[in-house]
Amino acid sequence: MLSEFSLIALFILIVLGFATSLVLIPVALRKLGIVPSQPSAVKSEPYECGLETTGPTWIQFKIRYYFYALLLISLDITVVFLYPWAVELTSLGPAGLITIFIFLGILAVGYLYAWRKGALEWK
Amino acid sequence: MEIGSGINSMDLDLHEGHVIEDLKNSAASALPEPSRWLDEEIERNIITTTVDKLLNWGRKTSLWTETSFTACCTFEFISTSSSRFDIARFGMEVLRSSPRHADLMITAGTLTWKMAPQIKRVYEQMAEPKWVIAMGACGISGGIFADSYAVVPGYNRILPVDVYIPGCPPRPEALLAGIELLRKKIEKRSIAKGN
Amino acid sequence: MVELLLLPASIRSELPFGYWLHLLIFGLGIITLLLTSVIIFIWLERRLVGRFQLRHGPNRAGPFGLLQSVADVIKILTKEDIIPSRADKLVFWMAPVIAFTPVVLMLGVVPVADGALLADLNIGILFVVAISSVTSLGVFMAGWSSYNKYSLLSAMRTVAQLVSYEMPLILSMVGVVILTGSLSLNEMVKAQSIPFILLQPAGFFIFFTASLAEINRTPFDLLEADSELVAGYNIEYSGMKFATFYLTEYCEAIVLSTLTATLFLGGWQGPWLPPMIWLLLKIGLVFCVIVWIRATLPRLRIDQVMNFAWKFLLPLAILNLLLTSLSVIFWPTAPAWASGLINLSMLAVFILVYSKFFKPGGKTVAV
Repeated sequence: MLSEFSLIALFILIVLGFATSLVLIPVALRKLGIVPSQPSAVKSEPYECGLETTGPTWIQFKIRYYFYALLLISLDITVVFLYPWAVELTSLGPAGLITIFIFLGILAVGYLYAWRKGALEWK
Repeated sequence: MEIGSGINSMDLDLHEGHVIEDLKNSAASALPEPSRWLDEEIERNIITTTVDKLLNWGRKTSLWTETSFTACCTFEFISTSSSRFDIARFGMEVLRSSPRHADLMITAGTLTWKMAPQIKRVYEQMAEPKWVIAMGACGISGGIFADSYAVVPGYNRILPVDVYIPGCPPRPEALLAGIELLRKKIEKRSIAKGN
Repeated sequence: MVELLLLPASIRSELPFGYWLHLLIFGLGIITLLLTSVIIFIWLERRLVGRFQLRHGPNRAGPFGLLQSVADVIKILTKEDIIPSRADKLVFWMAPVIAFTPVVLMLGVVPVADGALLADLNIGILFVVAISSVTSLGVFMAGWSSYNKYSLLSAMRTVAQLVSYEMPLILSMVGVVILTGSLSLNEMVKAQSIPFILLQPAGFFIFFTASLAEINRTPFDLLEADSELVAGYNIEYSGMKFATFYLTEYCEAIVLSTLTATLFLGGWQGPWLPPMIWLLLKIGLVFCVIVWIRATLPRLRIDQVMNFAWKFLLPLAILNLLLTSLSVIFWPTAPAWASGLINLSMLAVFILVYSKFFKPGGKTVAV
């Protein structure tokens, strides 16, 4: 099994190398004069439909997005526990089922609380 | 209009006015044809010819249009890109909203001086190589508004135009013919001349 | 070469340099196959959408326009590379690489025939789940580093959407794990003497819908809504870096088609034809359905997208999970048609109850 994981690790390196070369090919082609390059001050400004940009861009953002991130962390990580249970479901039998029902029940309480509090509304 | 700190709408208006006036003064005459060098004899060797052929085939086959349409000729463009005339046959149905991804600007319609700085900026932000088609009478010369103080008398005052398509508005067939002309023009490009 | 591909891993490992040969064949094979199929599937999509809209689609470049994508690649490779002056340069360069890599990695655990896969991990599906969420990091890096308000907004939306649809996606796969009793994708395909789409129609529905959202396809493509967000998170990218994002999108579509085919449609299993051909046929079928949906459905609004994920798909996925585990424990000898029918009727009842109590949309919302 360890050799399987080492295969995946080497594959990660291969794909990373491939993706990096994808991005770097144009740099080499520019040296050969095939990719044109005519930089100017206006060209490297941000594109905002032809208008000049006003004010800073990297600002504090709407809190709504972070609610979803928090919800994901609370639910997603607990869901990972479902996978080992699902594999061993038949050998665990009804006892395991009851345990996981209690577990999901606790999750559901949190979920319903978030719903009631309006955390799921997009306002 | 509180966008950032220390900006009010009065200043913005004034700034805009200055930009427009500057552009108006600098655009007294039409810009020259951008690719006049296509007619010259270029010294080509076997490598540049092959590379040129491949590059030009790729560039003429996938012309992606920038969606910056100013006025009514747009409807002829829309009709060209939908089912009856189907611009997609030439691989041109990809409309990109960002000038960084686009190759071709079809200047469909009348351009007012108020809008001119924006169009010029969009053109300048397009990635090389890029082409411009002036579509319709207003695009070529300002059309029936040519004498107006508010209208740019032809896009070639502010952008280098590659192909002119007359008509008010031009029929989709005329637009397709114009695109065909541009494709022929692209075929003549060479990397020996910069790109 | 092909015979070598179909050899069981145990025999191949006994060859001289068997380990490296295996890595070379599958590593390069996966990348080559993926890139080729991207080129073919882009052409297929453009032709199909053309047909759906009573047009011809690209037909000038090469026979039937087959070389259209090749022309696109040549053009985009030789397009100018613009780096915005105010961008965060390092992050700007890294973003396409970070977005592209995990998508290809997911194929490393998908079998193309019995035992023919890069690495038969015993946690296969967990690996897929873990690695698939890395792409949203690349997308957010791209949106943030460009110093562009639209791309930042689009990246925020993308991440919120990907995060929301991850839950139903993961939960719907638990149903398949319950039926198989293993996390290895090869075991999952072997367990499907009857394709799981018949046993788990609700699970398939959740998985397919959530994966449409994960790959940002219609009706969930609002992060690329040209009318509000210019061009999405990759506004400032040009040339090959933009192409890498484009490639990532299509690779994701193909990879999720592959996962759908593997988890629900029986993977490489099928009569007469070789297993690999069967897998490719099923991938093509799923991809055509995705294109069909693109040509049919309009785009949803952001609040509708979020509500759909959190208030409809998530409860449905949990319900599906409970019902599947109950039926496996208490009625293990259930015939296939019965468990399929139970699942389907649960889906129908849930949709009926839901439509009775909830009315989505209607109000105006701020983004």
